[in-house]
Amino acid sequence: MARRIVVDPIPRIEGHLRIETVLDENNNVADAFSSGTMWRGLELILKGRDPRDAWAFTQRICGVCTTVHAIASVRCVEDAVGIKIPENARIIRNLMNATQQTQDHLVHFYHLHALDWVDVVSALSADPKETSEIAQSISPWPKSSPGYFKDLKSRLTKFVESGQLGIFSNGYWGHPAYKLPPAVNLLAVAHYLEALDFQKEIIKIHTIFGGKNPHPSYVVGGVPTAIDPNGDKVINVERLSMIKKIIDDTQTFIDQVYIPDLLAVAKYYKDWGAIGGGLGNYLAYGDFPETDIHDPGSFKWPRGAILNKDLSHVDEDVNPTDLSQIKEEIAHSWYTYEGDKDSLHPWEGQTNPKYSGPELPYKYLDTDKKYSWLKTPRWKDNPMEVGPLARVLIAYVKGVDEIVDTVNFVLKDLDVPAAALFSTLGRTAARGIECKQTAGFMRNYYDQLVANVKSGDTKVFDSSLWNPERWPKDCKGFGFTEAPRGALGHWIHIQNGKIADYQIVVPSTWNASPRDSKGRPGAYEAALKGTPMADPELPLEILRTVHSFDPCLACASHIMDMNGNEITTVKIV
Amino acid sequence: MNITVLGLGNLLYGDEGFGCTMAEQLRTGHSWPESVTIVDGGTQGLYLLDYIESAEKLIIIDAVIPVEEGLKVHVFRNEIPTKIQKKMSSHQTGLSELLAMAKLHNHLPEDLVLVGIPPVNLEMGIGLSPEIQALVPEVISIVKSIIRGWSEE
Repeated sequence: MARRIVVDPIPRIEGHLRIETVLDENNNVADAFSSGTMWRGLELILKGRDPRDAWAFTQRICGVCTTVHAIASVRCVEDAVGIKIPENARIIRNLMNATQQTQDHLVHFYHLHALDWVDVVSALSADPKETSEIAQSISPWPKSSPGYFKDLKSRLTKFVESGQLGIFSNGYWGHPAYKLPPAVNLLAVAHYLEALDFQKEIIKIHTIFGGKNPHPSYVVGGVPTAIDPNGDKVINVERLSMIKKIIDDTQTFIDQVYIPDLLAVAKYYKDWGAIGGGLGNYLAYGDFPETDIHDPGSFKWPRGAILNKDLSHVDEDVNPTDLSQIKEEIAHSWYTYEGDKDSLHPWEGQTNPKYSGPELPYKYLDTDKKYSWLKTPRWKDNPMEVGPLARVLIAYVKGVDEIVDTVNFVLKDLDVPAAALFSTLGRTAARGIECKQTAGFMRNYYDQLVANVKSGDTKVFDSSLWNPERWPKDCKGFGFTEAPRGALGHWIHIQNGKIADYQIVVPSTWNASPRDSKGRPGAYEAALKGTPMADPELPLEILRTVHSFDPCLACASHIMDMNGNEITTVKIV
Repeated sequence: MNITVLGLGNLLYGDEGFGCTMAEQLRTGHSWPESVTIVDGGTQGLYLLDYIESAEKLIIIDAVIPVEEGLKVHVFRNEIPTKIQKKMSSHQTGLSELLAMAKLHNHLPEDLVLVGIPPVNLEMGIGLSPEIQALVPEVISIVKSIIRGWSEE
């Protein structure tokens, strides 16, 4: 039997994602299988509850995705019962969503993904003067003196020498697939630490609008925080100017640190512009409505789909409420459907778990049969990739000016063709491009909000349909958002004011899904195929591609183990 | 003095939500000096860095796998692992990583106590198991006594 590498789970991410790859004789990935090893049955917990409370439960699905699940949830209830939120609520939700996306992308790039490309230990042999010269040649960012990098290097060295590599102890340092010279590694590590500090600031916008962080409050019908320009416990002049400063600083950080770093690092990894492409099918529900959530034409991140890497055409007929368009299959998932149905639209969806995998502990999964707790969503019967690359490509093909400009600038700077976008590198670059664009939205929403408040409009909540007695006895709704890692949908069925059914299709269900009934792979599975491995024992290349999707599988057990047992394993079987 | 009590965990998985449940109970059912901030941190990992770095004294409440087994409240003082050894959960990674980061930034709280319970039930579902529920009064009194001790220093 061919050699199989099992990574269980992917380090540095939340949740239970298991990747099994089969290698050919040249250590290239010949085949890959993605499995969610933890059952997520939130749908069953929600049944019978008050739909107005659903957001508070759904935001706990994942620790890092609280905002997006809360937004999708209140939107699905509003859609079902016919609530139109006030203009200020639309703007504030957009601003919170943009904040989330911007912060999440920064955190992903620096704290999850950068270390797949940056060798921390190599940074210890850098010449700080050389790092300073490089920094000053690519950006006006002020923290760039030789002394600054010298101090950082000596702090890092102390950490490593005291045996406290700490957060960095999980890396594959010295791996031959690391290509950056020491000076660039030191620059990236410096910004890694700065980004860690800076992301704390961005999220303060959530505290201002959401009442409390880390779990901001949402409400069906609007937003929960009152606006009063002169009040002291609400959104007032002082808090608005705080928000303005955070937005200014965020844009500066992205323009002067994130984007220059992205390009500086990417220049050494241009070969990854031809690795990790995968399906070539891209889907986005779109988000950031300029008018109303039911008006996709007004979305700043447009709705649409691209098939077979065709950059000449976007299919705009994406309708998640059309029962024939989005269906979830379970051919390779540990579920059953009543009546032996092959696939179901989420409004008709069922959550009947039935594990039929091997007993624990097992060496590898029987991938000819069922092998994942994730279902297999399909759009018009096609497997699709969702996320920043999907959104950027759709906006690019649709001719959104700023996106066309930024994408072309990046392609030119790296001297690569547009086809390089269909890759691991393309996915990572798209996230940076999107981060810059969405940070620009933050500024627009701030201006819109201030203009509204100045004109005397302070309404943030519509109470006319708050009481379930005024709702239709039987109604269905769809709520969605473009989460940082892709299209997120919540489908609700309400009967007599209570949740009768609730189905969630998260971005990682699209991307990490197992094979479908026709044997076609999901996005991770397709993307990993063909990946060259320098050393199968140290599968850095697999991590690069999987991390480029920014995976999130539902949180499972997060228990603090005081014994320091190793749980993450890489096995060759 | 700035004292933070940070509850960690996932409310959707039985005793895994212990830290969150405790944070909520401590916040709403008891009165505290102004210097005390109580936070339900969920499973937010890096997003909680500010709460950790801005605390002078920090109590973390979480479900733990203790070194010595036993269905009781386990208290660890300033002896929490601050590095990752290829862990699978980012909450574990999260807490260790957060503390490592705070250390690298030179912002570790001067005092750090982890109050933990070994979970009995981790199945999907909301609410603590009866065994863990029975430990709640003791956890409350431990937290109160730690804070009293700090306040009298």
